[in-house]
Amino acid sequence: MAGPGGGSSDVQWCFSQVKGAMDDDVAEADIISTVEFNHSGELLATGDKGGRVVIFQQEPESKNQPQCRGEYNVYSTFQSHEPEFDYLKSLEIEEKINKIRWLPQKNAAQFLLSTNDKTIKLWKISERDKRPEGYNLKEEDGRYRDPNTVTTLRVPVFRPMDLMVEASPRRVFANAHTYHINSISVNSDHETYLSADDLRVNLWHLEITDRSFNIVDIKPANMEELTEVITAAEFHPHQCNTFVYSSSKGTIRLCDMRASALCDVHAKLFEEPEDPNNRSFFSEIISSISDVKFSHSGRYMMTRDYLSVKIWDLHMETQPVETYQVHEYLRSKLCSLYENDCIFDKFECCWNGNDSVVMTGSYNNFFRMFDRGYRHDVTFEASRENSKPRSVLKPRKVSTGGKRKKDEISVDSLDFSKKILHTAWHPLDNIIAVATTNNLYIFQDKVN
Amino acid sequence: MLGRGVKRKRSCLEELEVEVLPDGARKPDRKQDGGEDREEEAAASLLQQRQVVLGLCLKKLQDDQAGVELSLRRSVLLANTLRQIQEEMWRDRTRGPDRLDPDSCLVRDGFREDVSVTCPGCAEDGCCDAVSPDAPSQDPNGPSDQQKPPPAPAGSTLSDSATGYLSDLALDDIFEDIDTSMYETSDLPWSCGGGALWPLGVSLWPEENLKPPSLSSGGGLQSCLMDLNDLDYIIEILVKS
Repeated sequence: MAGPGGGSSDVQWCFSQVKGAMDDDVAEADIISTVEFNHSGELLATGDKGGRVVIFQQEPESKNQPQCRGEYNVYSTFQSHEPEFDYLKSLEIEEKINKIRWLPQKNAAQFLLSTNDKTIKLWKISERDKRPEGYNLKEEDGRYRDPNTVTTLRVPVFRPMDLMVEASPRRVFANAHTYHINSISVNSDHETYLSADDLRVNLWHLEITDRSFNIVDIKPANMEELTEVITAAEFHPHQCNTFVYSSSKGTIRLCDMRASALCDVHAKLFEEPEDPNNRSFFSEIISSISDVKFSHSGRYMMTRDYLSVKIWDLHMETQPVETYQVHEYLRSKLCSLYENDCIFDKFECCWNGNDSVVMTGSYNNFFRMFDRGYRHDVTFEASRENSKPRSVLKPRKVSTGGKRKKDEISVDSLDFSKKILHTAWHPLDNIIAVATTNNLYIFQDKVN
Repeated sequence: MLGRGVKRKRSCLEELEVEVLPDGARKPDRKQDGGEDREEEAAASLLQQRQVVLGLCLKKLQDDQAGVELSLRRSVLLANTLRQIQEEMWRDRTRGPDRLDPDSCLVRDGFREDVSVTCPGCAEDGCCDAVSPDAPSQDPNGPSDQQKPPPAPAGSTLSDSATGYLSDLALDDIFEDIDTSMYETSDLPWSCGGGALWPLGVSLWPEENLKPPSLSSGGGLQSCLMDLNDLDYIIEILVKS
């Protein structure tokens, strides 16, 4: 089945571009911490540990090669967040960008929300390609003219100039989160958005920065009794009253804001009973949900825990409708992964444009795609070796049994320092953005 | 980090592997001995593994306390793991020293391949299944108990039961020659419940505590923390008696 966002069984993925320094020395500040396409897919934003946001813009399709999709080039770079210091707790607040979410475009300018652990900011990105010239009292270089030398009056006119992209902070939403913000989500009403930290979810109006409503609070009266935290939250794509939040215990709660002001009581609780055969000391840790994403249709939601991706039908709370194993071969390595802290890694997941394929990252710079229709899954690697322009990606395989086939890689050879935590899929096309530690890879399907 | 082709440092997991594997050199013709010997050895190795996880858990919590404000999610997950281990150890104690909890998490495959510690002669899955297949029938309430651990705060109920747990051991003898020099630090804001020696009541949210941790009650940190070797000794007592 060909076509944009079609099944992965007939799609051939090719390397398109890689962004970022290609040397082995990774600067801490350059570590990519979030990746997000805008609603048209024309813009691709990344946030990094240094608090910067880099936006890439897709070039328009060239007339010479009408079927070759445009490349993504840097459109704007700006410092979104700076490190801060909490004097009360004597703790530094990291400038790392945890999430970026685009607002739907209303006019010529683009808007996005970016957040670090404590503060959310609304940024306006606008283009300037004309400037006024011909002032009466000022020279072109800005110096003021002596009024006595002015003999005639003229009307200043706009003349074209080199394109300049400006990013300006329009709103700063601060001081509403005691704990670390893990999610932001723009509502379908385009007026409000939610922000979630470990224990609370707040509702904001995009125009109002000095107030937010607390809609979920799971902080116990006695913090010693705390056993569960919020890990992710998202608004329903169409129902502005509905949102979900996931927990460290592997549950997802769907809440309806019409029911009450404080949504501590869920409308639905999604939880899969634990498989007693797989129980270990790490059961809870690996059940912790690291990401939750609604399908574009709004009928399903996807959750990512340490070893799997699950698709839930919103009408069925008892179990997911689909479960995909991302790297089941790690189940026997959980103790080592616990020792080196990899078990706490938070992987994200994403849907393709028509909800037929889901994607998530893994270790060794592998990322996985699961085709829901064809029940076909594939593993690819984002690496410099596969970085020849338009080279087709070769599926990778991890050997789990004793005998390792040629081209397979054994579990013990996997590089656990190379992890793909953040991936994004173009909303309309088969173009994906995959972030390794400090590089952004862009792949697209092969066009003939 | 496990690097590609890079030799890993000898971790405590591998040390454990080396300790246990020599025992695994026995041949499978031990069937005459009955499953009991194998069960005992499996139990001992499983207990050692649990100890390893317990040690890792404590170390991570200790490291987390000593610096930057780290993730609350991580702290909560570590604390829950610690609580789970403590409950299981308490259950083993109440069950009797010669009977391992058939629902012990360690029986599951989470450990089977990881440290390559299988019961002797147990290259296949057969043996380990022998330890656990009766689990569901022996204790039908087991799984549900484990899935719903008592909701009591870690600092109170478990501490009280821990006091009882240790009361019939010769505590003074055990702690006589502990070298606690590495634990002598006043920076750890751990709150040890009054009189409770073990398990630990770990306070993970120091900003929530209004009074500073009392280091003077019951020997303070020194009595709160236990060297892993001494846990060995206690477990040896439990298993062999």
